[in-house]
Order: sequence, then C-alpha cells, then structure tokens
Amino acid sequence: MKIRYLSEPDLVNPVMIASWPGIGNIGLIAVDTLRRSLNTEQFAYIEPWDFFYPNKAVIRDGQLLDLTFPSSAFYFKKTGRNDLIFFIGEEQPADGGRVYAEGNKAYAMANLVLNVAQRFDCHRIYTSGAAVAPIHHTMRSGVWAVPNSDNILDELKKYSNVLLMSDVEGREGSGNITGLNGLLLGVANRRGIEAVCLMGEIPIYLQGFPFPYPKASKSVIEVLSAALNITAEMDTINQLSLQSEQELSDLYEKLPAEIRDQLDRLKQVSASVSEGMGAITEEDKKKILEDIDKFFKRGGEQH
Amino acid sequence: MEPVYRIYGEPGLKKSVLIAGWAEDAGHLGVQTLDYIMHDLGSREFGEIRPEDFFTMAGVNVEDDVAVFPCSKFYVTGDRKLVIFKSSMPRGDWYRFLNAVLDIAQKHCGVKEIYTVGAMLSSAAHTMPRLLMPIVNSKPMKAELAPFNVVDNTDYETPIGQKPTLSSYLSWLAGQRGINAANLWVPVPFYLLTLDDPRAVKRLVYFFNSKFDLGINFTALDAEIAEQNRRIAQLFNEKPEIEGFMRKLEVGEGLDTDEAEKLTQTVAEVFRRKPGPQQ
Repeated sequence: MKIRYLSEPDLVNPVMIASWPGIGNIGLIAVDTLRRSLNTEQFAYIEPWDFFYPNKAVIRDGQLLDLTFPSSAFYFKKTGRNDLIFFIGEEQPADGGRVYAEGNKAYAMANLVLNVAQRFDCHRIYTSGAAVAPIHHTMRSGVWAVPNSDNILDELKKYSNVLLMSDVEGREGSGNITGLNGLLLGVANRRGIEAVCLMGEIPIYLQGFPFPYPKASKSVIEVLSAALNITAEMDTINQLSLQSEQELSDLYEKLPAEIRDQLDRLKQVSASVSEGMGAITEEDKKKILEDIDKFFKRGGEQH
Repeated sequence: MEPVYRIYGEPGLKKSVLIAGWAEDAGHLGVQTLDYIMHDLGSREFGEIRPEDFFTMAGVNVEDDVAVFPCSKFYVTGDRKLVIFKSSMPRGDWYRFLNAVLDIAQKHCGVKEIYTVGAMLSSAAHTMPRLLMPIVNSKPMKAELAPFNVVDNTDYETPIGQKPTLSSYLSWLAGQRGINAANLWVPVPFYLLTLDDPRAVKRLVYFFNSKFDLGINFTALDAEIAEQNRRIAQLFNEKPEIEGFMRKLEVGEGLDTDEAEKLTQTVAEVFRRKPGPQQ
C-alpha cells in the first residue's frame, strides 16, 4: 500500500479537503466541483491494487490494452494564504460488494490520506457527505457539520446555513457518519489533526435514488467557500442544480396525489419546528417512505 | 505471517503452460473443461492457495444437495504438459490472490503461457457451431492463436456499472510480469447457462488438444452431446412451441422476454429430470 508522489509542492499552511462517493454523491460532487473550478494540479495518488477491483477493461481487436482501477488522487492549489490539498477517492475500498468502506482496508486508506496531510503539515481537514433529512426537494439544503473536536464548534456556528447535530430535530447531538467520510475524522483525531465533515441535506425520499442531488452539493460548496475564504465558481453547480430540480419536478408531477400530499408536508417542517407545532413525525416519515417505495415498485403507474 | 499458498509435491517443471478456470463460470464451462482434460490425461494435485484469506469463512454454500467449501488448487497432468488451476472466485484481496497464482506458476512450474477458460452469454441456439473468442494480452499471443480458427477481433469496453472479469485481471497481471496470456471465451446459449453445454466444452478441449498435441479421447464428450441432442429432440416432440422458439434462434430472429423465459424454464426442467429411456 503505497503513496506515489508525482511532485513535491511547496505548500503554505495547507488545508485538506477530502471526499469519497456516498448517498447522492453529494460530498464528492461538491469537493470535485470546487477542485475543478480552482484549476488544481495532481501531485500524488494511492496505488489501487490492494484496495480495489479494476473498474474497466479496454479491448481492441482481440487484445486487452488496458485495465483501469478506481483512482485515489491528491491535488494542490496554491492560494497565497492557506494553500489547499484536495483528495478525491473514486470508490470506497470495500469487500463483498458493500458500498461503504469498513475494516482494515478502510483504516489503511484513512491512514494513507492522513500521511499526506501530515507530510505537508495540514492543520485542518474537511470531508463531505450526505445528511438524509426530512426536507422537500424545493427547499434549500442545509449543511450538517460534525467536527472531531469541540474546539471547532463555535467557528462552525458562524457559517450561514450550517446545523450542528444538536440543531437537528430528534438528534440530540448524536448520529453516525458511514464510511470513509466519517472514519477520517476519527483517525485524524487520533493523530491530533482537526477535522470537520460537512453533510449536505438530501430529502429523505431521495436517499435511495441512483442519481446525484447537486442542490445539496451546492450548499456544501457555499460553506466550504466561506470556511476556506475562497471564491468558488458556482456556474457549473448552479446549472446542475437547476437541471436536477427540473427533472425532480417532472417526476414529482407523476406521483399519485396522495403521495404528493404527504411529501408536501415536508415543506412545512422547518417552519413548524420553529413554531413548535405539527412537525412531521417518525410515523409520518415511515409512511412516506413506504408509499414511495410502493409507487416505484409498481413502476410509477398512476392509479 | 503464513504464506498464502502451499506446495505439497513439487511438480518439477521447467517450462509449462497454465490453464485456469473458475467454479462460478456460466454453464460450468471452465471447470467441466478442466475436469475433462484432467480425467482424460490423468492428473496429480500439487498445491493450493489457502482459502482463509480470500473467502468469507461464514458457513458453506450448498450446491446440488452438497455443502461446497471454496478451494483453489493446482494440478499437473499425467503427461506433464499442462498445469491446471481450478478455483472458486475470491471474495476480496484479488490482487494478492492473483499474484499468488502467478508466483506458483512462475516459481514452481516455469509457466510461459497462461490460458483462462470461460463462458459468455449468447442468444444463438445450441445447435449453432461454438466460436472460440480469445482476448490476448500481447501481440505475440495473438499470432500464436491465429492458426486455430479463432475469432480474434473483439472490441469491448466494460460498461459503466459493470466490472472486468477476474480472467481479464489475471491476464493483465500476467502481462505485467511478461507472461503471455489469453482468455478463451466460448458463447453459451442463454438457456444453458445454469445447465451444461458439452458442445462448448468440446470446443475448448479441441483447441487445447490441437494446440498442445494432447491426444485426448473425445468419445465421452461426443456421447454427452448426443444425449443432449436426444433429450432436446424429445422435448420438441412433446412441445412444438419450444421447437418454434429454437428455430427462431437458429435464423437469428431473437425471442421476446416471455418466450426466452419459457424456453429457459422448459429446457431447465427437462435437463433436471432423470434421463428417460433411449428410443
């Protein structure tokens, strides 16, 4: 298990931003969109052999020309203040068809990423993922922030649209972050490095959908831009968000009225919670998910 | 840390050819091909890759009423011309597993060429001739196979959401070590994927027999093919609708989903029954 360096950039007081795929690829899209907008340069990668099965074979005229593996790549951007290191993991290292990393391989991957962070004296690491929340897709996605140290809590409260776990109804400050986007926080803590996971909210009824939810990624980019004191190019993510919202609206119109009525109640969640009345209950959530599940198992037919 | 493999009888080979097949292959093609060759030439087991590092030790699968434990074993044929590797597909640590295969092949058997055998899905009828479609890892290997009536012009890229085969992975790693390799694919009709396809087995055995001058006796395979023909002919007599489906496949018309399912189910029922009396 090795890190291969393509160059050794001279970085000043860098911050690392890392992400792997997860629900709706919210974190990955946010971090990768930000990375691309900053014209970063790759300087290292983690050898894939011990972590991944190949993801593509290229055969031409009967000859196997290439076999490619999921990449785990490091990029840098010099900003003149806090330089940036981006880590993009194309897949989470998991055995047996699981989506999220766990066990020895996950721990090894987390440690390799942190080896790079420490080599360049990173003082802060951000990871990003998804927060499944009782919101409606027409609402702005909030960003749940989980630090690995209470020293960072006050700083996080200053950012617009950020919720700590104690701000989320029913959570009482608790929860879990699955896979490497979460594990990295714990392993960083063991090494004494500050780390924060930023999770963009995805509507509870979209969590199992096999397509991205860029609206949440956009919210994450906004928080990251504020935290890193950078100006991100938002045109790409704005365009993706609009396109996704249009597609969801079209799909929404095809839902039976009964399910739409249930989902429309989610629009009231934020308002009603703050007014202390009529919030959606766990029972409501369960029924909504069951109804949607039934709808899609029927192939989306109207009845 | 214990080595991932053990050798319990050095094969004593300085230069050899390795043929590998996987237990989970469609139509049981890989294992049946290797079993036929080993049975005809005689064979001796000489080593294995330890299962505990590569398979989930969470119980056993049951197949055809029998508990099956994963294994990855090496054999040398009686004429000492071939090294055979029969294995279940590992559940993880593929890189380490396949490198162990190559370590044994190189260090203990002097392997200079590697072949894998396997089935690919076909929508053609079982009565059509079986093609042999090699995917090689080098130009010299392509030239080596060209005289053997193979279809060697495949263009392919793994579609998004799918993964390359373990055979491709082995072939690619062999190439990294400078070993020539070929994945030999034979199309198997979709309705025989869970059954046996002796014609496909024969195509592969015939290739190895020609390539390495093995002197294999095909009598038993020919008998299996004849028996399959007989039972399918009997099925046509009982169910003309099924014969109609088969004729459509023979002229390349294709079947709709319902027809394909019906054909698959009916053929499966016939071949899972005990053979009827010869007529």
